[in-house]
Amino acid sequence: MPQDSAIFKIQRYDPEVDTLPYFTTYNVSLRKGMTVLDGLLDILDQQDGSLAFRASCRGAVCGSDSMYINGAFRLACNTAIVPLLPREITINPLPYMRIVKDLVVDMDPFWTAYERIKPYLINPETAPERERYQSPKDRKHIDEMLDCILCASCYSSCPMVWSDSEFLGPAAFLKAYRFVGDSRDQGQRERIKAVGHENGVWRCHTVFNCTEACPKKINVTWSIEALKRRSIVNRLKFWQR
Amino acid sequence: MIRTAKTRERNLNTPLWPANYRTGMWAWTFHRISGLALSGYLIMHIIVISSSTAGSQGVNFDKLLSQLTQPFFLALDLLLWAAVLYHTLNGIRVLLFDAGIGVRNQKVVFWGFMAVAVLAWIAGLVLIFPFIMGRPPVRA
Ligand code: SF4
Repeated sequence: MPQDSAIFKIQRYDPEVDTLPYFTTYNVSLRKGMTVLDGLLDILDQQDGSLAFRASCRGAVCGSDSMYINGAFRLACNTAIVPLLPREITINPLPYMRIVKDLVVDMDPFWTAYERIKPYLINPETAPERERYQSPKDRKHIDEMLDCILCASCYSSCPMVWSDSEFLGPAAFLKAYRFVGDSRDQGQRERIKAVGHENGVWRCHTVFNCTEACPKKINVTWSIEALKRRSIVNRLKFWQR
Repeated sequence: MIRTAKTRERNLNTPLWPANYRTGMWAWTFHRISGLALSGYLIMHIIVISSSTAGSQGVNFDKLLSQLTQPFFLALDLLLWAAVLYHTLNGIRVLLFDAGIGVRNQKVVFWGFMAVAVLAWIAGLVLIFPFIMGRPPVRA
């Protein structure tokens, strides 16, 4: 007989009242097709109104509900409960980030790093009347990077992020390449400058944790390696300095 | 109200717990370990060899070498050979990625290089085994 309930073991921590994080266990009755997010919403609704977590779109588009669930980075909304059974469902907030409350973490360092790479189009030419044309081939080149939903799973999975708070982290690099590899963009040199230093791509040890973590199955490491090569080429172009 | 927990609850649901490691994380961890081991070995090597040649009253170099070719040390050499192979081959793997080769097939590349490492290690074992058993092959 299929299981009709699942055990949710959730790490709780309220820095204002708790000295250390602890786990609380909930028994969630299952409906057909339930995701981990559905379970969390049921707990919030029926068992414990004090449980804090982030979620908004429920469709793996907004990137709010990335968590560490049963030994892997996952979006709660995109994770079915049944394949995880009969194990209990253990949920931690994104590891090695400051906990605001329970499953909610402080995303400021992530966004600060993101801003550093100037995540917007840089092109001094005035835009043509209709559009800045891009061929389908050029568009395809950045398809993968455009899929990123800024969920910070990769950021939280990276051993270099854990050990160096100045390190920009995988998502910022991916987004940097999203523009560096974009045929319409002309901010290459500033962006390469923003990532081509010791707290940038050169801190990367090619551990592939970011690529393993990404719930959108993006090969983040590929973009980082591409930036490393661009950064070298830029250094060699001394006449452009 | 302050809730004081006495002890930190054991939490294995973390990417730092080895059961949650993936290929790349293992490759990186062993690269650190083998790197530290090789640095330690190099320092030891320099100290042992240089001190054995220092001063006429010092340890006699020939005597030292004959000790270091005892089976126990030869077996240790096999460990050294493993560390050298791993660190070299995984280092080449990472360099290939920096050059843009094989990034999307990193696991295949890893296991390919490990297969080479195992073969080379076995070759080393075959060469050194007679010495460990105290039967150096007769040279023509
Ligand atoms: S690259 Fe993947 S894991 Fe990283 S922020 Fe974007 S969607 Fe999330």
